[in-house]
Amino acid sequence: MVKGDCSILVVEDNPDDQILTMRALRKASSHSPIILQEDGQAALEFLFGTESSKRSPQVDTLGVILLDLKLPKVSGLEVLRRIRSSQQTDWLPVVMMTSSDEPQELREAYRLGANSFVTKQIDYSKFSEQMCLLARYWLTVNQVPMVGSSRSF
Amino acid sequence: MSDHWRWQYWPLRTKLLLLTVSISTLGILLVCTSLVVVENRTYEAQLESELHVIADILAEQSAAALLFEDSQQIKTIISSLNQIETIEQVCVYNVSGDVMSALNGTGYEPCPSLDVEPEVGFVGDYYRLLEPVTLDGDIVGQFYLMSRLEVLREHIWTFIVISFSVGVGIQVLLIWVASRLQRLISEPIVELSSAADRISHEHDYSIRVPVYGKDELGSLGSAFNEMIGTIQQQNRKILQSKDDLERTVAERTSELSLANRELEAFSFSVSHDLRQPLRAIEGFGQALEEDCRDQLDNTGLDYLARIRAATVRMGSLIDGMLVLSRVSRQAMEIDRVDLSAMLAEIVEELQDTTDTVPSEVTIQPDMQVVGDERMLRIAFQNLLENAWKYTSKNEKRVIDVSACEERNSITIALKDNGVGFDMKYVDKLFVAFNRLHTPAQFSGTGLGLATVDRVVRRHFGRVFAESPIDSGACFYVEFPRPERGAESGLQQQATRQNRREYG
Repeated sequence: MVKGDCSILVVEDNPDDQILTMRALRKASSHSPIILQEDGQAALEFLFGTESSKRSPQVDTLGVILLDLKLPKVSGLEVLRRIRSSQQTDWLPVVMMTSSDEPQELREAYRLGANSFVTKQIDYSKFSEQMCLLARYWLTVNQVPMVGSSRSF
Repeated sequence: MSDHWRWQYWPLRTKLLLLTVSISTLGILLVCTSLVVVENRTYEAQLESELHVIADILAEQSAAALLFEDSQQIKTIISSLNQIETIEQVCVYNVSGDVMSALNGTGYEPCPSLDVEPEVGFVGDYYRLLEPVTLDGDIVGQFYLMSRLEVLREHIWTFIVISFSVGVGIQVLLIWVASRLQRLISEPIVELSSAADRISHEHDYSIRVPVYGKDELGSLGSAFNEMIGTIQQQNRKILQSKDDLERTVAERTSELSLANRELEAFSFSVSHDLRQPLRAIEGFGQALEEDCRDQLDNTGLDYLARIRAATVRMGSLIDGMLVLSRVSRQAMEIDRVDLSAMLAEIVEELQDTTDTVPSEVTIQPDMQVVGDERMLRIAFQNLLENAWKYTSKNEKRVIDVSACEERNSITIALKDNGVGFDMKYVDKLFVAFNRLHTPAQFSGTGLGLATVDRVVRRHFGRVFAESPIDSGACFYVEFPRPERGAESGLQQQATRQNRREYG
């Protein structure tokens, strides 16, 4: 498995943003699998499973999580906290995505262990550039530890 | 000697008592003295008349013996006077002045000669008398008698002792009565004084003094009570209005902090919820332009470009409003700020990102101010961006930043050689959404200088500008001077401001 095969988990509730993010990411990294979860609850079920189902095997292939800050049901910061408090996922790179740039949120996100904090630009060219940089950095430059049997060189 | 021994420090009671005692002492002394004098005179007169009676009787008895110059007979007559101890000397003279017979006290001098008129009356410790002895109207001799006055003296001394003992007794009684009676006057005054004292120390205006009688002291007491009553009433009113005021302030503060919280929620909502649809419009616009370019003609593409440009502009307006609202409500963190370094950083960023006009930027080194670094950065970023923007059509850009320190303030001047502005509209410069140039001339939101003004005001300073014709613009930012301890001073003010706004 080559590094470029790491997948990206996008947690985003807004359908417009889903499409625009997916579009930008696909343009930036056409061969990386992109997994979409529509809210915090779904993201947690995907990462940790539920009582009736096991966690997704795709978790082991994740290279980065792009996590929207403002999510219905379970907030982005809560998802981040859960990710950091479980041994299975505490290593996962998490990039917080937000429309605003409130200083308190920024601080709280880093306190809870976010790896990066990105304010989504209104200018789509700039937004695309952000997605491109993120994909390139987290999937090709950054190293993550190997977890489970599926990860090998 | 301690001050407390001086007359003005004596308590009123003591003064009154002393007054009474001194007057009564003087009175008693005068009475006793006059009594003694009168008694002395009376006793002397009595003694004198007694001695004259004795002398008269003896002179009469011895008249015949004198006529016959029978000195033995005379001696017998006058020897009866031996029984009277106080009689010191008796001499009987014949008509020619020779001593016929004498009765002398122990070791006393002989009878005085009649050649010289002897002293008579009270002289020294003796009373002397000289009487002619007559028989049928003819003078037959002289009778001389000298008596000691010790009985008189003893009597007077006894009288003095008794009268003064009685005087002292009366005085003691008077002191006792006076000490009782002086309370009638001193007690109301003492009570008044101690009440006034307590009121001034304890600020207890419920204290009242008892009113005695209808005299001046009584009216003083009731006037005092009335006065304190008025003060108490006024105090109550003042306290009540203070309470009202505090309640109003508390209400206003809570309303204000509620409004602040609402504003916070509002700006968060603006920042998050308004930006998202804008991003969608812009994003899909670009997606449309990229993915469906073939299906649009030039007009369609132009419209699309305008939609996207308007969206981006609205985005920057929202950003500008957010920054303005944030610098208005954010709690301040006061510290010493190296303005020169901060300005150099901002200029470096501007040089990296914008146009290619050759720039000559001069920043005075070591400019220091005291304030919130993040806010000051926002303010000076705006000012420098403006200078940059309005010189972007120049052939060469010249920007000069310098500081002028005065006693109480430090003024930072930012001077550029740009297009400047019309001084007619200088009042509108720092008002939000007021622009002096069209978007076609220079882009902008009309919020930058309003933000600068807000930041500087929160630092208790002021910002003003001037633009001489054809020589660019100059913006002045004046801060209270960072003296020693000014950090703590501004910090305290900022803390009060923070507490007021976020209560």
